[in-house]
Amino acid sequence: MSTPVLATPAADVGHADKGGPTLGQRLTSFMPLIALVALLAALSIADPDFLTQRSLTAVVRTSAPLVVLAVGATLVVLCGGIDLSIAALTSLSTVFFALWLPDLGGLTTLAVIAATACIGAVQGLTHVLLRIPSFIVTLGGMSIFSAVALVISDAGPVRITDRAATEWLTLYVGGYVPMAFVVAVIVVAAIALVLRLTPIQSWITATGYSEPAARLAGTPVDLVKVAAFTVSGACAGLASVMLVSRNFSGSPTMADNLLLPAVAAIVVGGTAITGGHGSVWRSLVGALVITLLRVGLPIVGVPSAWEQILYGAIIVAAVALTLDRSKVLIIK
Amino acid sequence: MSIDVQPEQTVSEPAPVPALEVRGLVKHYPGVKALDGVDLVVRQHEVLGLAGENGAGKSTLLKALVGLVRPDTGEIYVRGERVRMRSVVEAAENGIGMVFQEQSLVPNLTAAENIVLGSEGSAVRRGVYRWETMRKMAQEQLDKIGSDINPLARTDTLSFADRQMVEIAKLLRIEQRSQHPPVIILDEPTSVLESKEIETLFAQVRRLREFASVVFVSHRLDEVLDVCDRVSVLRGGQSVGELPTAGAVPAELHRMMIGSTGSDDHYHGGGVQAADRRESLLSVRGMSGATFRDVDLDVAPGEIVGIVGVHGSGREDVCRALFGAEPTTAGDVTLDGKKLDLSGTRAACAAGIGYVPAERKTEGMVGPMSVADNMVLTKQGARCTGPLVSPRKQATLVDRWIDRLSIRTPHRGTAIQRLSGGNQQKVVLARWLIAGDIKLLLLDHPTRGLDIGARSEVYRLMRELAGNGVATVLLADSLEEAIGMSDRIVVMSDGRVTKEIDCPSGAKPTPLDLVKEMV
Repeated sequence: MSTPVLATPAADVGHADKGGPTLGQRLTSFMPLIALVALLAALSIADPDFLTQRSLTAVVRTSAPLVVLAVGATLVVLCGGIDLSIAALTSLSTVFFALWLPDLGGLTTLAVIAATACIGAVQGLTHVLLRIPSFIVTLGGMSIFSAVALVISDAGPVRITDRAATEWLTLYVGGYVPMAFVVAVIVVAAIALVLRLTPIQSWITATGYSEPAARLAGTPVDLVKVAAFTVSGACAGLASVMLVSRNFSGSPTMADNLLLPAVAAIVVGGTAITGGHGSVWRSLVGALVITLLRVGLPIVGVPSAWEQILYGAIIVAAVALTLDRSKVLIIK
Repeated sequence: MSIDVQPEQTVSEPAPVPALEVRGLVKHYPGVKALDGVDLVVRQHEVLGLAGENGAGKSTLLKALVGLVRPDTGEIYVRGERVRMRSVVEAAENGIGMVFQEQSLVPNLTAAENIVLGSEGSAVRRGVYRWETMRKMAQEQLDKIGSDINPLARTDTLSFADRQMVEIAKLLRIEQRSQHPPVIILDEPTSVLESKEIETLFAQVRRLREFASVVFVSHRLDEVLDVCDRVSVLRGGQSVGELPTAGAVPAELHRMMIGSTGSDDHYHGGGVQAADRRESLLSVRGMSGATFRDVDLDVAPGEIVGIVGVHGSGREDVCRALFGAEPTTAGDVTLDGKKLDLSGTRAACAAGIGYVPAERKTEGMVGPMSVADNMVLTKQGARCTGPLVSPRKQATLVDRWIDRLSIRTPHRGTAIQRLSGGNQQKVVLARWLIAGDIKLLLLDHPTRGLDIGARSEVYRLMRELAGNGVATVLLADSLEEAIGMSDRIVVMSDGRVTKEIDCPSGAKPTPLDLVKEMV
């Protein structure tokens, strides 16, 4: 038998990276956690009062909607797509929530999540059946959802009088941990568990890395993609309930400033924007990093206008670190 | 007619410096030696044919000539001077250009824009096109090759043959850069042309000889002999000889391509049983699609049916259509007496059909995923208990198949892209076998890019599966392989089945018998 165990890397310079992960690659994969710890350290140096239970509680409470949004969209990114509609869909569903609450009462939360899941599924089906890039489908969705939210809300906030339906999210587990964050972590854990225990993980990974190969292996590529968009939609619904529980109102623009942070959370977590590589846990860490930045920048005296500049820079830098350019021939 | 294989052809007149010369070119890819010491001489003002079977190294050689592949060792000389080319641009500066099989024109620009694209010169002033200058420049190029294409026509309104002319006209602009007669490489220029267009192309090629050297590559041997002055033959990455075309016949050329001995006997004597063909497992009646029409095909259990045909015969698409990966417009296909759903790959997998694509790296496997994940990708049920993945079940299953097919991998968790080609292919094959429900295997060039050792292992596995009653459709890498492995050979040409040849052990047809039917 003359087949060598491993392809000889010396034969071709381009294959030199196949001898296993280099130190740099290993570091890159732990980068999100390192960044999280470094940020915490830097912030507590800048403001010694920062590292208190109170402010940490505030950070995780603020992060909850972002975690949920980012984790849902991570599934779409893992499949090789992108969901740009999440923030607009969240805004729309805060309005849904406020409008439906008087009629549905305690069932409103479930109804909103079901509705956004359906909307996500429709976007997924549009992407798969009409073969339109997910970027375009969700860009269109973003615009449509924003407009619908404006129309049905009469372009203003809709106040919530009955706070009982969302009160549970404002509770604290053990007195310290905000319920919203616990719910977010449960969502992450549940998705991670389903992926780990079922074939879905390998279907998603195969679809994200190489859709033609996945298709020719009989992987239910279309089904997996529609499912990813559905979960992403449902997560937007859940995030909206979290926002409503804090703001006591629904508003057509409430979550609009969450799109960039959510995408930043995904890429900072180290999920490859080209698909295949990544995990929902990474996005949880990424969302915490982003939230820390958000909360911490004012502490160290950075004006809030600079926040957006920072997000933009972070996204580009994170993709530069995680993108394997050897596999992407044409950058569009 | 006697066969004169001359390693160095004697020339009567004193030979001027060759336009292009290649000495001892070697190129390794992981697990395969694509070029193994190739020598080639392209004289000035000649049309040189380059012939060789699939995998003989033709395309690697051509890519090396235009700077797309960097050879490991070996030298390239242009008019006697050693050159190193690292890109198509550098090749162009040396006066070498290639018309690719997949055309490289921008469809929504005019012919003139395409011709001057990348070498605009005086057609652009202060960043703005000067249309009249550009039209004249383009017209001049088109006149050179005697083409009457309107330079202001949009490229996508032209026929394929006309686009090819535009491409040649564009290529000839490299003359301006190198100040010498260029070397034009035509890679399979006739594969999608009508016979009338081929005549026109040949006339152009003969004109080109007046002011350029041409390297002409085609699978159609009669064409090569018709248009070329001389043919160089590659086999297994080596130059095996040259043949002056005057008076030569395709049979001679083909014998050089496949080697006169009919070597690699190891897969001939595999104990082919005359399969019982009264019952057929796969039955195809009148299947039509974009590139094939009215295909009838029967494969019995345990039978290996090879489909042979030249480039463009449609055999690859027939294979994909049977797997639901290529749409069909008509036809009745049954497997094991049940009507087959051709609408998608999942239905085909569920019916017990397996497909090994020719493009292993992009379609056959998911490179960054592990050996285990690649192996269980299709038959997920084999590693699951109920809906859940059982890591223990997966480990046992995958390790058993790694052992059974002697897949050489450090671990089942190793990324498949780190294995050699042969071991990758064995994982891809195992994917269809692990559940034990495979009825029909569609193998599209299953041994492409594998070395001899890995090849014979794949052959042995195919035999073993056939022995267990699996029906196989094989698109072989070479005619030899098709003849050696198949119990029956179906010849396809222009999308239709033109001939069926029995191919039992002991009474095998020769490659020449097949070539006669193919061309």
